[in-house]
Amino acid sequence: MDLTDFIKDFDKTIDSAMSWATDHGGLLFDLVRAALEGFFDLVTSGLLLLPYWAVALVAGAIAARSLGWKAGIATAAGLTFCQMMDLWSETVETMCLVLVSVLLAILIGAPLGILAGYRPRLSQSIDPVLDLIQTLPPYIYLLPSIAFLGYGPATAIAATVIVSVPPVIRLVAHGFRSTPVEFVELGEATGTAPRDAFLKIRLPFALPSIMAGVNQSLMMAFGMVVIAGIVGSGGLGETIYGAVRKLDIALSVNAAIAIVILTIIIDRISQSAATHRRPA
Amino acid sequence: MTDADTPLIECRNVWKVFGERAREAIASIRERHLGKREVLTEFGCVVGVHDASFALKKGEIFCIMGLSGSGKSTLLRLLNRLIEPSLGEVLVKGRAINGLGKTELRDLRARTIGMVFQNVALIPTRTVLENAAFGLEVQGIPAAERRRIATDALARVGLGDWLDRYPRELSGGMQQRVGLARAIAADPEIILMDEPFSALDPLIRRQLQDEFRALTKSLGKSAVFITHDLDEAIRIGDRIAIMKDGAMIQVGTAEEIVMNPADQYVADFVAGISRIHLVKAGSVMMPPADFTDAPTAALEQTGLDADIDALIHLVLASPHGAVAVSEDGDLRGVVTARTLLEGLKGDHAPVAGAA
Repeated sequence: MDLTDFIKDFDKTIDSAMSWATDHGGLLFDLVRAALEGFFDLVTSGLLLLPYWAVALVAGAIAARSLGWKAGIATAAGLTFCQMMDLWSETVETMCLVLVSVLLAILIGAPLGILAGYRPRLSQSIDPVLDLIQTLPPYIYLLPSIAFLGYGPATAIAATVIVSVPPVIRLVAHGFRSTPVEFVELGEATGTAPRDAFLKIRLPFALPSIMAGVNQSLMMAFGMVVIAGIVGSGGLGETIYGAVRKLDIALSVNAAIAIVILTIIIDRISQSAATHRRPA
Repeated sequence: MTDADTPLIECRNVWKVFGERAREAIASIRERHLGKREVLTEFGCVVGVHDASFALKKGEIFCIMGLSGSGKSTLLRLLNRLIEPSLGEVLVKGRAINGLGKTELRDLRARTIGMVFQNVALIPTRTVLENAAFGLEVQGIPAAERRRIATDALARVGLGDWLDRYPRELSGGMQQRVGLARAIAADPEIILMDEPFSALDPLIRRQLQDEFRALTKSLGKSAVFITHDLDEAIRIGDRIAIMKDGAMIQVGTAEEIVMNPADQYVADFVAGISRIHLVKAGSVMMPPADFTDAPTAALEQTGLDADIDALIHLVLASPHGAVAVSEDGDLRGVVTARTLLEGLKGDHAPVAGAA
């Protein structure tokens, strides 16, 4: 059987659906774009108003509180080093891209994860979708994003949200699913209302898993945010992309170092939040 | 029937069948009176509880003893409807709980029936006090009041100095006391105990058994107590039910069960049980006519319920080595050192009429 025609037809349908969506959904996409960019600009420009040393001090203090004073000093020193490489605004932009994307991923993923945790059936139908999202190469998501939202940070955020949602859904669902059965019974046998059973029994047990989900989501976002340099995300990703095109090896190495510093800081801080909440 | 006579819990011909074809199986049980085995072969359904009936009286501790898989935990969960019965009904204080709505059922569980779990289920992120107050908290009782009640409950179980510790800092026995305190803090009339002491080491277990019995009696509570340990059932229970394959095969006092096992299964169980503390005058006496050493009128008198310690004391003190057993002034039998020893050995044929 010759499938060529069928595939051509299929591709045409997809193409026309895309153009239909851009033609008719223009207003919607403009709104989404404006909202994403507005939020991102707000956070970024807010952070850039502060002198770099203030940000470094605050980040150092947070790290010191959750990981100890050595980590605090290393964090402050790492961020200062980013400034010394003259990559401060790019570093802040990347950090904001990641934080904004993960915040949105949590807003979308947490309710779905909670539902999936309570209803194994729903979980079964969500899982293949999450598998698909996580199997496809991440830069695939730049294509629809750029088609609908155009060149710029909004596209980067949209694509980053897509790749960082699955770990949130999975680990939130896992957290709520794995309440030990005797505690579920405790809730029922004491006549606990569903809302209290959720807040006072299931949530404490789910918290470590939820925080692990946030940590993984952050790491996925870091991976994507660099790739999103291609679509004009701003930040270190775009610096690296530009440096690679000009074969400016020194600059790309500097930007890579800044990304490593930022990733380690955010990974360690979010990881410690996950482990500290584990009930012993 | 007056209120005082209404059983706190009454189980009427309750069945629980697990499996995909449970409904068909139940229909056949109802129409054709199928047994457990037929249900399994015809419908592939497992019978968890097989036609169980019993009543929990006010102030009573009712022990359900059975090995794992005998259906005892399932039966316990039918009593507060954590599991829905397939057939039959459960009445709590004369009211069928099968028909209760969500709110009524929650209310019943919150106020009337407490539960203590084998693995305690203390929330690890809460302190001892917060755990003990959990039931009150979800009932919406104000913080100060629930703190006072829970503190009092913890003091009753001997944990007054541990309020602000976390469960992980407590030993297994102490954790189980917190579980008990949590149950009594809500002041339920009935406490369901799901093998609460099984995981504890023997010394602590005995201590908790005695404390539990004393506490339940002093608070005037009633309890259904699940255990796989016959010694525990005898120590704690006013009455004991023996379960096997989902069915209650014998219900009675410890003495009735040990002295008169209903079948070989129960007999094998009680074979290892020391009879010493179950022996009562009524079960070890011989007919008065068989006693010829002395006129029975010359003997000390005691009642049918005299226990082993009293009997030994009386027999040793008597110049004839015997004591007369009477009820309401009528002579019923005579206990001698010989009948005592025979009774303890276990093949003494009891006098007709004695338990």
